[in-house]
Amino acid sequence: MNVDHARLLGLLAPECLVVFTALAALFADLRFWKHRTPGQRSHRTAIVLTLGFGAAATLLGLMGNTTANLAGGTLVLSPLSQHLKIVLLLFAIVTAWLCTETRFTRHVGEFMALLGLATAGMMFLVGTENLLMVFVALELVSLSLYAMTAFDKRSPRSAEAALRYFLFGGTAAAFTLFGFSLFYGVGGSIHLPTLAVSIARHAGDPLVLVAIVFVLAGFGFKIAAVPFHAWAPDAYEGAPAPTAAFIASGSKIAGFLVLGKLLQVGLPAAAGSGAWKAFAPGWMAVVALLAAASMVFGNLAALAQTNLRRLLAYSAIAHAGYALLALVGGSQPALLYFVVTYALAVVGMFGVVAVVENRTGNGSIAGLAGLRERSPLLAGVTTVFLLSLAGIPPLAGFLGKFLAFVAAAKQGTALGYGWLVALALGMSCVSLYYYLQVLKQVWVVPAETRDPLRGGTVVGGLLAALAVAVVVAGCMPEPLLDFLR
Amino acid sequence: MTPYLIVSALLFSIGFAGVLTRRNAILVLVGVELMLNAANLNFVAFWRHGPNPAALDGVMFVVFAIAVAAAEAAVGLALVIAIHRHCRSGNVDEASGMKG
Repeated sequence: MNVDHARLLGLLAPECLVVFTALAALFADLRFWKHRTPGQRSHRTAIVLTLGFGAAATLLGLMGNTTANLAGGTLVLSPLSQHLKIVLLLFAIVTAWLCTETRFTRHVGEFMALLGLATAGMMFLVGTENLLMVFVALELVSLSLYAMTAFDKRSPRSAEAALRYFLFGGTAAAFTLFGFSLFYGVGGSIHLPTLAVSIARHAGDPLVLVAIVFVLAGFGFKIAAVPFHAWAPDAYEGAPAPTAAFIASGSKIAGFLVLGKLLQVGLPAAAGSGAWKAFAPGWMAVVALLAAASMVFGNLAALAQTNLRRLLAYSAIAHAGYALLALVGGSQPALLYFVVTYALAVVGMFGVVAVVENRTGNGSIAGLAGLRERSPLLAGVTTVFLLSLAGIPPLAGFLGKFLAFVAAAKQGTALGYGWLVALALGMSCVSLYYYLQVLKQVWVVPAETRDPLRGGTVVGGLLAALAVAVVVAGCMPEPLLDFLR
Repeated sequence: MTPYLIVSALLFSIGFAGVLTRRNAILVLVGVELMLNAANLNFVAFWRHGPNPAALDGVMFVVFAIAVAAAEAAVGLALVIAIHRHCRSGNVDEASGMKG
């Protein structure tokens, strides 16, 4: 296997730039800004990250339609992978700015460096068709996120959430690795398209089915699907707000993309079926069951929540179920549109959580009472984000769900997945209740105090931009859909 | 070939049983390491007896997996220390400030 290293370096320039930016932020923070206040330091490191990541995104934009396949599928570039990397970089920039809203740590530089490394891991994850690279990049993302979850050292909850996240994640990684080893044994290769050919010859092999279950267990953790979801509410509640935002957005997008690639590129021959009265062993059946369980459990458990972050966690579990519907439908544009628009709304919500918690120290849903009077801007963006999560037209969340459900309904013959779509529609109605409960606090319940509640200018601007993006992506979906095709 | 797979399946099961039953975070971590090494054993066995031992895919995977497992243990122990500072215990279920 001969690799042209100069070409490799050229194609990996954006990733190199991201890692370099992360280290530069760490160095500058420790060397020059050590004696400033945490607020100033987080502003400065956020500016460094914005410049570096912005440059990397520009570089990716300039690479445009480059396609490449280096070192036996270890690095695969396509217009889609470039576009997804740009999306991930934008979410990382928003996360960096959310850090300026919260005062959870004095070690700002380290946090930003970990954020950069996690982003680099996600970028590698997006651009590979090699199982070894998938595993290593996945672990780079996960290990950075565990550390970022534990970053609030004053809070016992942060450490506890990180430990749970880590123990679940470590077990999930072991399951993934064991599943990969079985795929390697059956297929004799770790390159996905090669693997697909040899697995097609062993389609009914029990070893393949065992491997599918193991790998889906591992990825089920990453995307927080029931029954591998138990870490999510704790991690979302205990982690610093920027970390929770990044777990819910970037890590979700990368996880779903890799899972989709693995199943659709690597295992089309072992799909099986999850259609009504026509179950056949294969990943479709397992994914359909995971989707059903996630939608039912996530939505019902969210009804009982009083903490806003836990509510968002259960809503994330439910949304993982809807996204798996798009996966069952086999429609990659629908899956990516759904996940990206979901990430837009959830990052925005965590931005609101960060501002409110930082000013009031109250993380419960009741803490939003009277937000209408205290901050019209926050009340407005919260409404847009929550209605999008609930799937109200014309916001992006509606179209995302619509595309996902249609994709699933078209799959199979004679509306075989109709049961899943019907379940999804019913559960979407249930979800409206708890989103509206939050909005009731924002708009109807009077506040105890009328003090104005203001976030920083940049974060306020970013939240407004995210809300506008949610509206525009819903009203004019074609540009985003083309971007993700 | 079969004996290797039986041993690795046993290792994986023992590790998973440890993860599920142990209450001490460090012992859970030991269980996870056993599970990872079961997968490593699989890779080496499949590589050695596979159709194409000249391609070093399997061994490369093991080398990287060992390195990743070491990094994971480092992060895990750091987290155990962080939680120990707060509640003076390494037990998973004594630290349960969060419910619901």
